[in-house]
Amino acid sequence: MTQASRTELRNLQDKTAIVGVGTTQFGAIYRDLDPERSAYELGLIAFREALQDAGLKRSEVDGVIVSRLPHYGRMCEMIGLRHPRFVNVLPGEGRQSGIALQYAALAVANGMADVVACIYGNNGRSSGARYGGEDRGTTPQAMFEAPYGMTSPGAVTAMMFRRHQYRYGTTTEPLGHLAISNRANAALNPNAVMQRPITMDDYLGARYIAEPLSLLDYCLINDGGVCFIVTSAERARDLNHTPVLLHATSQASDITPVYVADDFWHEPMSQIADDLFAVSEAQRDDLAFAQLYDNFTPTMLFTLEGMGFCEPGESGDWITPERISLHGELPLNTGGGHTSESYMQGWALHVEAVRQLRHECGERQVANAQYGLYACAAPLATGHILKRDDR
Amino acid sequence: MSTDTTNSTEQKPLPPVNRLTKPFWDGCREGVLQIQFCNICDLPWFPPAEACPRCLQDDWEWRPISGHGTVWSWIRMWQKYFPGWAADEYPYTVALIKLEEGPYMYSTLVDIDDRDVSCDLSVEVEFRTVNEEITLPVFRPSRGTTER
Repeated sequence: MTQASRTELRNLQDKTAIVGVGTTQFGAIYRDLDPERSAYELGLIAFREALQDAGLKRSEVDGVIVSRLPHYGRMCEMIGLRHPRFVNVLPGEGRQSGIALQYAALAVANGMADVVACIYGNNGRSSGARYGGEDRGTTPQAMFEAPYGMTSPGAVTAMMFRRHQYRYGTTTEPLGHLAISNRANAALNPNAVMQRPITMDDYLGARYIAEPLSLLDYCLINDGGVCFIVTSAERARDLNHTPVLLHATSQASDITPVYVADDFWHEPMSQIADDLFAVSEAQRDDLAFAQLYDNFTPTMLFTLEGMGFCEPGESGDWITPERISLHGELPLNTGGGHTSESYMQGWALHVEAVRQLRHECGERQVANAQYGLYACAAPLATGHILKRDDR
Repeated sequence: MSTDTTNSTEQKPLPPVNRLTKPFWDGCREGVLQIQFCNICDLPWFPPAEACPRCLQDDWEWRPISGHGTVWSWIRMWQKYFPGWAADEYPYTVALIKLEEGPYMYSTLVDIDDRDVSCDLSVEVEFRTVNEEITLPVFRPSRGTTER
């Protein structure tokens, strides 16, 4: 895409808002394994809560985007939505959560729908998902990776982190700071799955999964549902809460056969940063927090570097416990992230951003939150700046 | 990975061989590592695909490659995701090889202690027979000093 067309991203600025959010109780159902729990049920609970949160009537919802739920039809049927005029299905991968918000905003801003409910349901823990070893059939992974025992997104991230270590001398200590910080934030989040604080000794002593990464670098595997509802900024001003505007958003990619990128996705992430900060009133110093996609802790390193918070290779030094804490220069993953709050593949990070910008987060509230960042580094990367609309 | 580990090898995941990938496995069985090259623009690619990703044309052929490359990165897998690896095989090593010709290939390393592995280590292909149909390419430290 040329720079000229990228400036058209300005057309979406502040046009749409997230007006309702809903999440299931992550901690409570983690302790209550239920093999019959369906992802649709979790999506339904989240939708019901988001609708009530927004103060919208169900009949006002005319668009639905589902993710990780195999079929839009079943979801629409269960929530009694017979005649939506904008429907889409996104696969259950974390890269898609930011994309769901982008599609919803595009639909609303262009008149394809007035109110879009984005619904996610994940019964991974109850259904025994392992996120490794499932490679079957004639996919390149099954044919050319599984025979060597290569499997799982975590192992791929471990490959990238080892390369980062080699190239820049990065140690695992900054990963520990990220895991510890996530856990400290989760301890202040009543809805989080993991609330017992951890220390650097805990981190360094955790068992390896795909060395150099160990258990506390990894996202949880838990059940849950998340919903956020998007409508126009204008309509948002008549609803229950201070609107949270989609202030800037962008997508970029680096799609290769082996998932990894030799530059740790610097190119797509810096493209996103350029896009966001070109149109945004808020620059890096103005962000109250960043919700960074943390399927595995090294992904946050790559994101910080790619988004220009530090130079390539310097994230290990940049990350200090003070800087990333709730009272620091750039609080990260204020709700506890995927490693401690809930593995909702980016969806709960979006909800946490909204709740922070509404100033609803109680003990973990970041002071004076006006702008916040969401970013996901992956072969398909996304980023947004969200804005509290005080008007 | 070697064939002397009795029963465990048989339960490890085996690649399904299909029309597209058969020449790759036929080559491995004969000790030749080959990948697809475009006859129009000479681009090599891996894993196999039905057309050149640059030209989009299906005028391509399998050509033997040097078998040389470098370790882009490597891990030790501790988690028991797959059946087939015996308890004493954990952790096992998986490496991502950057082939001299450009494409990347996941594999494993042989004839080297994990303590001596490093990114950018020069490696060369070797073959390990699994069964009548499948021989897996693996990589060992390069012996030649002037090959690259």
